[in-house]
Amino acid sequence: MGLAAGDVWWCVLVTAEVREEGPEVSFDVHGLNIDAESETEKICSFIEREVYAHYKRKGVVVGLSGGIDSALLACLCVRALGPSKVLGVILPERDSSPDSAKFAAEQAEALGIQYETVEITPILEVIGVYERRNAVIRELCPDFDPGADRMKIALPPDLLHSDALNVFSLIVDRAVGGRFSCRLKPAELHEIAAAQNIKQRTRMIHLYSFAERMHRIVGGTTNRTEMDQGFFVKHGDGAVDIEPLAHLYKTQVFQLARHLGVVENILKRTPSPDTWPGGVTDEEFYFRIPFDTLDQLLYAFNEGLDTIDVSKMLDLEVVQVERAYRDFQLKKSTTWHLRSLPPSLLDSDSEAG
Amino acid sequence: MANVRETLRSFVLESFPASSIVSRFDDRTSFLDTGIIDSTGVLELVSFLEEQFDITVEDSELVPENLDSIDNLVRYLGTKNVPHASP
Repeated sequence: MGLAAGDVWWCVLVTAEVREEGPEVSFDVHGLNIDAESETEKICSFIEREVYAHYKRKGVVVGLSGGIDSALLACLCVRALGPSKVLGVILPERDSSPDSAKFAAEQAEALGIQYETVEITPILEVIGVYERRNAVIRELCPDFDPGADRMKIALPPDLLHSDALNVFSLIVDRAVGGRFSCRLKPAELHEIAAAQNIKQRTRMIHLYSFAERMHRIVGGTTNRTEMDQGFFVKHGDGAVDIEPLAHLYKTQVFQLARHLGVVENILKRTPSPDTWPGGVTDEEFYFRIPFDTLDQLLYAFNEGLDTIDVSKMLDLEVVQVERAYRDFQLKKSTTWHLRSLPPSLLDSDSEAG
Repeated sequence: MANVRETLRSFVLESFPASSIVSRFDDRTSFLDTGIIDSTGVLELVSFLEEQFDITVEDSELVPENLDSIDNLVRYLGTKNVPHASP
């Protein structure tokens, strides 16, 4: 990592704001570059310390989704603790891409770790996840055929070029041809989200079941981009014992993953929630900006960098940076409760009586 | 017909209680900047507009310029020919 002479004043601007807890970055148009080996050692020390000294447990359980974050976490845990201390758990359901379980197994085998596969579709059916979600869709699209049509929900694309607010639309690609699309009303969105979130909460149940049986901890896979913007399920994939990736922006996850040799099939996958039959990317579903630009803007926002300066640095219009900043603040403030303990009166100034 | 501005104010105060504790809430106050309305609140606001004023809010109209304050809403409703929606 290095900066060109012309970037020196940027270096001064940025390094003054570098936080203690984040990795040292160089912020320029080429992305948020980190020293991969140094960062690896730091995270591995963290994992080892937390598992053995803090929790006093025997290893880690990692939910392997077939995505880059869980693959990276597994690599780091193996590097920190050794393969015998890491259990991978693959938890596919009806709407998961078939590639997910396949790639997750490939990663587990490449690392030489034990792994289990637990199909969660039956329990989701019993709870009524698919039925509840599909009932909402049929109200909006009466001809919807859940066995053949592919549905998803998504936000308006291209945040930087549009003032469009975060309003979800239902999109159904019909097996017989054509596409149905409509904006979701609040009650409809809440019903669909509540049903879908059961999937991640069910995965949490299984991960803790394995972990507790083995006296291990559950490793979290939420990265900083997701943590900051609230892109995880409360008490779902957000319910874990450690979050070793939470200080890394998504593009930094990719950097480390390449450094540690995550399998190629996972490295080249487009990030996706992998929970909608219609197939939707993380960008389409939530972030509305490609990850490389998103992370640069989010980093700038978190460091309090001026929008005019950032627009010059990233060759964007000021209004585009302002749109991104507004969206970041909105998502961050809406999801405050995902990053906090539940509010209570339990503090030194609020004794009862 | 009830004044459109009053109808909007009542809806915002009832549906988004944060508006009553913001230090200065007036017709120019940005809902999004002050946190009165969050991401899902926008959906509620749009549903209210469509039902209360019998209009269709097009996808292209879901922008802060139309929705992000009482003043903006009144101006927007005027463009949708809602009676008594005068600034």
